[in-house]
Amino acid sequence: MASRIIKLPHGADAYTLGVVRAVVHGVFLVSALDTHFSDLGRLPVTLLRPVGAMQLLPWPLYDALLTPRGMLIFKVLLTAALALGALGIWTSVSTKISFVLVLFYQGLLRSLGHFNHDEMIAVYFLGVLAFAPCGDAFSLDSRRQKSVARPAGWVHGYPVLLMQVLLAWAYFSSALLKLRAAGFGYFSPDNLPTLAILHSLDNLHETQHRYAFLLPEYRAYTTAAVAVVFAWELLFPLAIFSKRARPPLLAFGVVFHLASRYLLNVFFPFFLAMYVVFIDWTAVAARLRRLRPRARPKG
Amino acid sequence: MGVDAEPPRRDARRLRVVYALVTLALGASQLWAFAAARDLYPFAAWRQMMAGGDLRTGGSYFMLRGTTVAGAQVDIPAAQLSDALSRNSPGLVAATARNGSFRLRTLHPDNAALLESAGGFERLPRGARLPELLRAWGAIYNERLPPDSPRRLLAVRLDEYRWDGGTYADYQRFIESWRVEL
Repeated sequence: MASRIIKLPHGADAYTLGVVRAVVHGVFLVSALDTHFSDLGRLPVTLLRPVGAMQLLPWPLYDALLTPRGMLIFKVLLTAALALGALGIWTSVSTKISFVLVLFYQGLLRSLGHFNHDEMIAVYFLGVLAFAPCGDAFSLDSRRQKSVARPAGWVHGYPVLLMQVLLAWAYFSSALLKLRAAGFGYFSPDNLPTLAILHSLDNLHETQHRYAFLLPEYRAYTTAAVAVVFAWELLFPLAIFSKRARPPLLAFGVVFHLASRYLLNVFFPFFLAMYVVFIDWTAVAARLRRLRPRARPKG
Repeated sequence: MGVDAEPPRRDARRLRVVYALVTLALGASQLWAFAAARDLYPFAAWRQMMAGGDLRTGGSYFMLRGTTVAGAQVDIPAAQLSDALSRNSPGLVAATARNGSFRLRTLHPDNAALLESAGGFERLPRGARLPELLRAWGAIYNERLPPDSPRRLLAVRLDEYRWDGGTYADYQRFIESWRVEL
């Protein structure tokens, strides 16, 4: 059995997998509902630079899609699939359709802008969920007894472990790539102030914070700050193995991503939302049940 | 999940194969992207902030502005106009300015025609498609305002500036401007 070879995360059962499915689909759903797809369809298709696998699709498809009507129809399909996936209805099918549509949509965005890394981790999570029995609990399918009752174990635990490894790899490999690209020059006191200022000069970013311009005054401390973030990225895989290391590593992640938003005008909300995979949702649900006041007997 | 429950052993065997294939696909693609230090959609190398900032080189940036009916100069929030691209707007503008959509292996037919009429990539003006982008953003901006609003735009302008680096000052050396009337 796989569970004898690989140590599965504590509490990684059908319920936890179901909550992760609901959150990952829910995050994409909220993001899609909050977006004006028809405005995206008003951008000229001649600006597209299809990236990677998106080059395999023909131009007439983009011509038809990148119109206000085409993008509105796409939004309806995307949000319907994500809603079904979040609620756990026809889970086996809806999660696969959600994965394909989100994969295409994110590819379309990257074909217009640049290769933003934030949503990619959540896209991979959708890929794992599409092929896992993530509707066995915390889903309408399971309430309507439309899911298969599977014994607890690696069937639900392995996908959770795989997603944890993916998130940890994203941080860990990011640290290694920084060292490979910039060497120890990455710890130069001017690295952080320069990077932050470069992201704060224009008015095209999502946010327009100007705190970056304060950083040169504190350049005596920026090397230490960069080193701490670098060490945190390298140590992040400990969150998989150590229950004790997990809370401080995740808490530091929240602080780091919020600080990036204010200092660099760069925010990774999808990365933060994917921390959901490190929470033992079965234990959380049990604790919430204990907190719920019991109904007093009548009379 | 399907209602037609498979026998537990067959279900477990099928899932084991599926998990092995998913792990292999994700693992191989992640290792390749890491080794190549390259993003090839949908394979991401986690290169965010990889190069860091270099004070010696500085960098270029863009400001999107407009002239209103009342004659005021206003900043235009591009990230809100095409909010799907909220975090990608700087990348879209930079790529359009360097004619990125003309550097593809297979060009859009309209871009192929424009390239041919210009006489090749070298003769193409910088930001050849920027006027269309500015017009689209201007139209979206105006549509969100009442027809008689003095805040409606008459023209949209994109200015490029450069911070030459070397010092934490002089961030605004003007480079080039594109303007369209709406």
